[in-house]
Amino acid sequence: MRIGLILSASPGYSETFLKSKILGLKEKGHSVLLFCQKSNPDFSLCEVRKLPSVSIRKGALLFKLIIAYLSLIPHVNCVIKYYKLERKEGVSVFQIMKKVYLNAAFFKEKLDWLHFGFGTLSIGRENLAKAIDAKLAVSFRGFDIGIYPLKHPNCYAKLWNKVDKIHVISNDIKTLLYSNNFKDQAPVVKITPAIDVDFFTTTQNKENDSIQFITVARLHWKKGLDYTLEALALLKKQGVTFHYTIIGNGPQEEYFKFLAHQLNLSSSVTFKGQLGHDKIKEALSEADIYLQYSVQEGFCNAVLEAQAMGLLCVVSDAEGLSENVLHNETGWVVPLRKPELLVEKIRSVISLPQTEKDGIIQRAKDRVKHEFNVNKQQQKFYEFYENNR
Amino acid sequence: MKKGITVAVYSGVSKSTTFIERLIKGLVKKNVNVLVFGVANGKCFQSKSIKYHCYGSKLNKLIRLCKYTLLLSLFKPKDKIRLDEIIKSNTIEPKRVLRLKYYPVLYYKPDIFHLQWAKSIKDWMWVQEFGMKLVVSLRGTHITISPKANPFYKDLYLELFPKVTAFHAVSESISKEAEKYNADPDKINVVKSGLLLESFQFQSKKQIYKPLKIISVGRSHFSKGYSFALDAMAILKEKKTAFHYTIIGVEEDEKLIHQRSQLQLKKEVTLKESVSFSKVKEELKDADVLLLSSIEEGIANVVLEAMALGILVVSSNCGGMNEVITNEENGFLVPPRDINAMANCIMEVKNLSESDYNTIIKKARLKIEQNHSHEKMVSGMLNLYKTVLNN
Repeated sequence: MRIGLILSASPGYSETFLKSKILGLKEKGHSVLLFCQKSNPDFSLCEVRKLPSVSIRKGALLFKLIIAYLSLIPHVNCVIKYYKLERKEGVSVFQIMKKVYLNAAFFKEKLDWLHFGFGTLSIGRENLAKAIDAKLAVSFRGFDIGIYPLKHPNCYAKLWNKVDKIHVISNDIKTLLYSNNFKDQAPVVKITPAIDVDFFTTTQNKENDSIQFITVARLHWKKGLDYTLEALALLKKQGVTFHYTIIGNGPQEEYFKFLAHQLNLSSSVTFKGQLGHDKIKEALSEADIYLQYSVQEGFCNAVLEAQAMGLLCVVSDAEGLSENVLHNETGWVVPLRKPELLVEKIRSVISLPQTEKDGIIQRAKDRVKHEFNVNKQQQKFYEFYENNR
Repeated sequence: MKKGITVAVYSGVSKSTTFIERLIKGLVKKNVNVLVFGVANGKCFQSKSIKYHCYGSKLNKLIRLCKYTLLLSLFKPKDKIRLDEIIKSNTIEPKRVLRLKYYPVLYYKPDIFHLQWAKSIKDWMWVQEFGMKLVVSLRGTHITISPKANPFYKDLYLELFPKVTAFHAVSESISKEAEKYNADPDKINVVKSGLLLESFQFQSKKQIYKPLKIISVGRSHFSKGYSFALDAMAILKEKKTAFHYTIIGVEEDEKLIHQRSQLQLKKEVTLKESVSFSKVKEELKDADVLLLSSIEEGIANVVLEAMALGILVVSSNCGGMNEVITNEENGFLVPPRDINAMANCIMEVKNLSESDYNTIIKKARLKIEQNHSHEKMVSGMLNLYKTVLNN
């Protein structure tokens, strides 16, 4: 089976989920072809077809268009089919010509599946799979269904009637499909993310003088670090000594750093910036409690990694997090946007007897090892494509 | 002040924010020759006293670069050589861009170069080497936030503030902030923002709306603390308080759109795009409460405007806000980021009698008339310039 996977960029160093998916499919004898706008030179897991940028420089436009259209002559049947499908939906000839140019790479490939790695990537490309006689699959992971449609209502209206199979990473994401007018037009399969459970292990005994909190997250508003910092400021006021390490960078760096300053937490919080896998593992092995108090979250690999590393995890109930961590069994789930509840929970976790903490840690480790390992994920993706034929 | 003094009011663009444009207007009225440099994005004034030397399209940039290269080579060759050396020593920005920015300033050589935004201070230190006096305004997040969140700006200010001729601070509190970065207190002049009061007609309140109309106005920036305001609105809803909240200037803000949806406040909260100043005034007049939810501010101009118009203000007690608002006297102050206090305060306002509401807004108007008139601001700035030139 030949599967075309569409991403905005080829998976980087830390994107275990996508890389293991590609590897797994290849190991099972499928071939994977990656379509993306930005390709990472280090990526060599499968063939890559680079897609042109949406904004085209006027000067080079004519030349590029001619080259692209000439290259499509051997695939004219697919292009005609695409043209008819688009025209049927009232798309203007000019728009279709533009789309043919932007999506030329797809017409040249014989594929069994065309799989959009994020819902947003499929918008405006709903007819491509049918034009090339492939089945259409789309993954929904969080932002694409939790945030994007708020600004673009009904952006998936066309997709729901054309998609052959939908992949979601959590039950909450599946629920969000329905609140965006999905009416079971196609099967929905949940495949949660997975991590390299052999890499994220630890035997180190922690001997910290004060409690060490940690979060690995992009410095983005959806990660709810403002609420986390508010909670920790309350904890500090209550006389608890701790240190909080935040690993990651992102657009709200100035906001979170300023907030830490204003909340008088500068000496209690370290912003480490973006780190590689090994450094993250090292930092996790030194910490006691992992916090992920997001306001929006698809599933969150970082929480899986923290559990595998034996950290006590306190998370919010944003989307997939309450599946990622089972409340009172493998960690604790706190209602989102309520710093006073978060600090209360942190205090109760701190004061738990060590045996109870060890029980939670062990259950979390076991669950991640059995439920969220790469092999299981690979098998599920194999079945995802196989079972539809 | 002698006639003919020339001041460059530099904000990087030809048409700047309302409060900078107000300053320019006042200076022009007082016969100050105003020069505006930077990127052309429109003009607010037509007057003999104001000259725009701005650049726009690619062709326009090329022509300007050639023009000033030639003029400087012919009339100020020594200065040009010195400036070229300074440009050469800047290894970060492209030389062509720097020439385009710097050459016209050197050619017209204003008496005072008044930099509005402190973050670009490093770009303009050179003017002092050519006899121009550098005045830096201390306003906004450039002082209140950036140096706290980013050590680069902290170090930059620590190094350069002691070398600046004079500062203009928009509030006492921001003046104190600047002192932390080695700004000499004797060189800081507090000149608070002023309004053209004749265009802000005060109206007393006849009836407080039901549901209560709350409004915020400001750009989509974390310093405005809108996410705290939305959390406070969720509390109001939970307490069954009838209200409608409008934020102007944030229509596209993904964070707020998501938060509004998550808190199920779609009916109660409207997020609007930025609108013209006259429309902002109309929106303000139609509200009961102006909410300033900021986590940091100098003195927010929109608060001054609301107070002048007769809209009751609930503001977070940050930056210089307590220099204009006395709690429960001419408005209300709540601790920054305290969503419960914010919600409680709004409920308190909702329960005010019309006469209590009017007493407060009248005191607010008086405060603006006494401390924030346009006349007072312009004379304050002229005094600052005079002191700088006399020293």
